[in-house]
Amino acid sequence: MKVLTRRRLAATLLGFAALALGAIALGLVVGSSGLPLADVLDALRGRAEASAAADIVLRIRLPRVLLAALVGGALAVAGVLFQALLRNPLADPFILGVSGGAALGGIAMLAFGTALGLGAAAVPPAAFAGAAVATLLLYALSGAGTRFSSTHLLLTGVVFNAFASALIVFAASVAGLAEGTRIFLWLIGSLSSARLELVGSVAVFLALGLVAALPLARALNALALGEEPAAQLGVDVERTKRVLLISTSLMVGAAVSVSGLIGFVGLLVPHLLRLLLGPDHRLLVPAAGLGGAAFLVLCDTLARIVLGGRELPVGAITALAGGPLFLLLLRRQAGVGGR
Amino acid sequence: MPRGALLVGLFLAIAAAAAPPAQRVVSLNPSLTAMLLALDAREVLVGVDDYSVKVQPELAGLPRVGGLADPNLESVAALRPDLVAIVPSEEQRDFRAQLRALGLPVLELDPKRFDEVLDAILALGAAVGRAPAAEARVAAIRRARGEIEAAVRALPRPRAVLVLQREPLFVVGRGSFIDDMLAAAGARNLGAEVADRYPRVSLEWLVASAPDVLLDASDDPTPAVEYWAQWPSLPAVAAGRVVTLGAGEVTLPGPWLDRALWTLARALHGAALPEPAR
Repeated sequence: MKVLTRRRLAATLLGFAALALGAIALGLVVGSSGLPLADVLDALRGRAEASAAADIVLRIRLPRVLLAALVGGALAVAGVLFQALLRNPLADPFILGVSGGAALGGIAMLAFGTALGLGAAAVPPAAFAGAAVATLLLYALSGAGTRFSSTHLLLTGVVFNAFASALIVFAASVAGLAEGTRIFLWLIGSLSSARLELVGSVAVFLALGLVAALPLARALNALALGEEPAAQLGVDVERTKRVLLISTSLMVGAAVSVSGLIGFVGLLVPHLLRLLLGPDHRLLVPAAGLGGAAFLVLCDTLARIVLGGRELPVGAITALAGGPLFLLLLRRQAGVGGR
Repeated sequence: MPRGALLVGLFLAIAAAAAPPAQRVVSLNPSLTAMLLALDAREVLVGVDDYSVKVQPELAGLPRVGGLADPNLESVAALRPDLVAIVPSEEQRDFRAQLRALGLPVLELDPKRFDEVLDAILALGAAVGRAPAAEARVAAIRRARGEIEAAVRALPRPRAVLVLQREPLFVVGRGSFIDDMLAAAGARNLGAEVADRYPRVSLEWLVASAPDVLLDASDDPTPAVEYWAQWPSLPAVAAGRVVTLGAGEVTLPGPWLDRALWTLARALHGAALPEPAR
């Protein structure tokens, strides 16, 4: 493993930032309507006010591309953190039941919100409330004030997810046909309801997660050796776990609340990056933020154009691209005798 | 033996025609229920699905046998129907087989195009002994279509989109009875250029396709004019040609397609449309 110099860190992150910006630029230029490049540039320069081109670039593509970048970044960072925290390579952002809580909150609002006179705008806050409740519940149940084991945490999450999905099935059975399609989109993950107002709130939580996680990167490196060796190295294991549990859960909750359950980003991106960059979390965590952003923006751009004027949920693309890619990675890793 | 088969077929056809009209009908689809009501066959209905009651509140007193997607076999059988009328959608396909296994007579109608809806009215009318009423209803619909086609011939054909649901966005595509009605009412259905039936489209497609008229048949609580005002670059919004269509007014493949056609024609052409001759 190469030593992480300041220079290597800067160079690598600059490279990933360029990748993310490139993906965002591509996402703004490309779309199902085939708008000419000149119109896109005019719209971006503010020269095409109140025209269809301006609406398409600034009010349809821009919020979507930005939201894809934030959600992708949040899911990939959460993936890296959960895999380190639980020392389980199969951990993904959805494993601890936060997604179950968010989905339950969002879907309950989808199913019954219309009856209460609440529109689609009430769904993200409801989903986020569900994620927050799930996080607190997880925190209370798994630790109860004492130290909590990773196995305990995992099992609590799995059971909570199963419980939430039972309630989701109930809500979907009671809901009407129109709500049924919305619930389906939620479960597979889609960015089609992206609005500029949502971008800010997700950005806040992603920033919060990164601010909490980056100073703990060194502790995460030590945690990879196991909890006891880490403690011997002077890491406050319990505190690290608690801070990461809360911050990642809120980050994932914010992402799920606007996009539903987009799979594979939090699994594929971290593993790909570990293969490329090695296991140092000081590099992995920020690289995952940028790499996840680029990955989801590219996937969503594909989802927007592949069927012409029709929409494809981006979750279908990430799963279609992610599944085989992940298996390939796994095979390569086994082939070179890695872990 | 083709001749033998032909004879058997002929015999079956005669037997079917001579079969006594159904007296106890369970309808598992709101459009079929609406047809029975329109043919003055309310008294043969002994049970309906939940959605039929939602569309026709006057049926609230009838026994219900479950939703469109999950009708209850036991409830249907308990009503001892001599006819179960269904639209064999994905969900009801298995249900049809279960009904047949119980020996319950099933009439399946799956009208997709305009003419198929008319055929369904005739078939249902024949099955419940209301053939003359069915023929009269179909004749009225055909007459309305003829009048409207004549009335719009000289008018410009607006480029139109008919929205079925806003979020996620579904519109009327190619090859449905609504697409047929839009054509008859003198519109160019832009959704027909995307895909068959009822595609889910992107907002980008809608803004780029720039419809002259936007017809909104969604059941969202926000009024259509208010909702679509957020996209002022849409020509339909700029010209004030966003029209709300009531729930089921044009989207139900039922017995009142003549009314649906007039509704569409008025929404598309406004004052330019001559009033129907009475």
